[in-house]
Amino acid sequence: MEENAYLTSIAAGAFYVIVGARLLRLGRRTRERPEQWLGIYFGLSGAFYLGYHLPSLLGFGAWSRGAAWVVEWTYIVGVFPYLFFIRSVFRPDARWSAALVGICTVFLLLGTGVAMAQGEVIYALDNPWYLTQWVGYTVPCVWMCVEALLATRSARKRVRIGLCAPIVANRYLLFALFGGFQILACIADLSLANELGSDRAISLVSDALLGGSEIASVAVLWLAFFPPRFYGDWIARRAVALPTPMDGQRDG
Amino acid sequence: MADVLFDIAADKLESSTGLDRLAARGTLRIALKEAGLDPQSLSVPQLRAVFEKLMPRELEARGVADAVSASNAAIDAIERAASETDLAAATSPDEIFKRLGGS
Repeated sequence: MEENAYLTSIAAGAFYVIVGARLLRLGRRTRERPEQWLGIYFGLSGAFYLGYHLPSLLGFGAWSRGAAWVVEWTYIVGVFPYLFFIRSVFRPDARWSAALVGICTVFLLLGTGVAMAQGEVIYALDNPWYLTQWVGYTVPCVWMCVEALLATRSARKRVRIGLCAPIVANRYLLFALFGGFQILACIADLSLANELGSDRAISLVSDALLGGSEIASVAVLWLAFFPPRFYGDWIARRAVALPTPMDGQRDG
Repeated sequence: MADVLFDIAADKLESSTGLDRLAARGTLRIALKEAGLDPQSLSVPQLRAVFEKLMPRELEARGVADAVSASNAAIDAIERAASETDLAAATSPDEIFKRLGGS
């Protein structure tokens, strides 16, 4: 399938594994859950991408049915810590956020579980179980995008009074962009499912959407987790600090 | 516990400025919104920044005489009251996102 996109998916998978390992090492040092959950998410996502495309890359045909299910579940299981991360960071006390985590979990388990009982995930828009699974992994991307956008807006205000580092406010924005690009990748999944389900050729649009969203995701994560010095300096220069009224009076 | 800190801050603002209870709470909420802070997840350092940088302007707009001194008096009283109360600060998203970048 998606011939051009698969190379970008492999590159993205390798990058996610690196990010996951870095976060898990950070989590071991800080003993804090958020980085551990995010590390598991990226680690498993990366393993899924690599596992999914490894047969094409190494030219050994296809995985056995058992191995293919392991690869499938690797991604599904990885979404759970992603949900825990979003909730623990942005809405730790809200009941609705716990409910949303539960609903996504049910959708993921139901969609993938029924597909497993049927023997395979049938990627087609008229398959309700594929759509159930799709909703389960797309909603967390939307949730991350929205929460990180809201956090960006409030963090920019805190930057003005010195309560938030400019690079942290920017990191919220990068996570919002990551969520947005993942939503595009999910839409590309639907487009591919439509084409696969109707025996049509994979279109250039679906291929480009998937590949482009993966490249963009890696780019924003690189800036979020491995910001080069010039980028940090640029963000700091753009930040505008609010003068302290008290300082003004003392000066006067 | 942060909502307790909001109540303490509103009380001290009320007693330091002569604003009535409703006006003091409203003024504090406006200043916190301007600062991008959630009243339910506040810390004392955050309140100090708000009272130093934003509150004097808000108080002046409401006709409070010597707004800077009133703000100073309020934040000093808040810090004293907070130190006498067991206020466990929750980990903020800012702290988590700072750690994620390894900074």
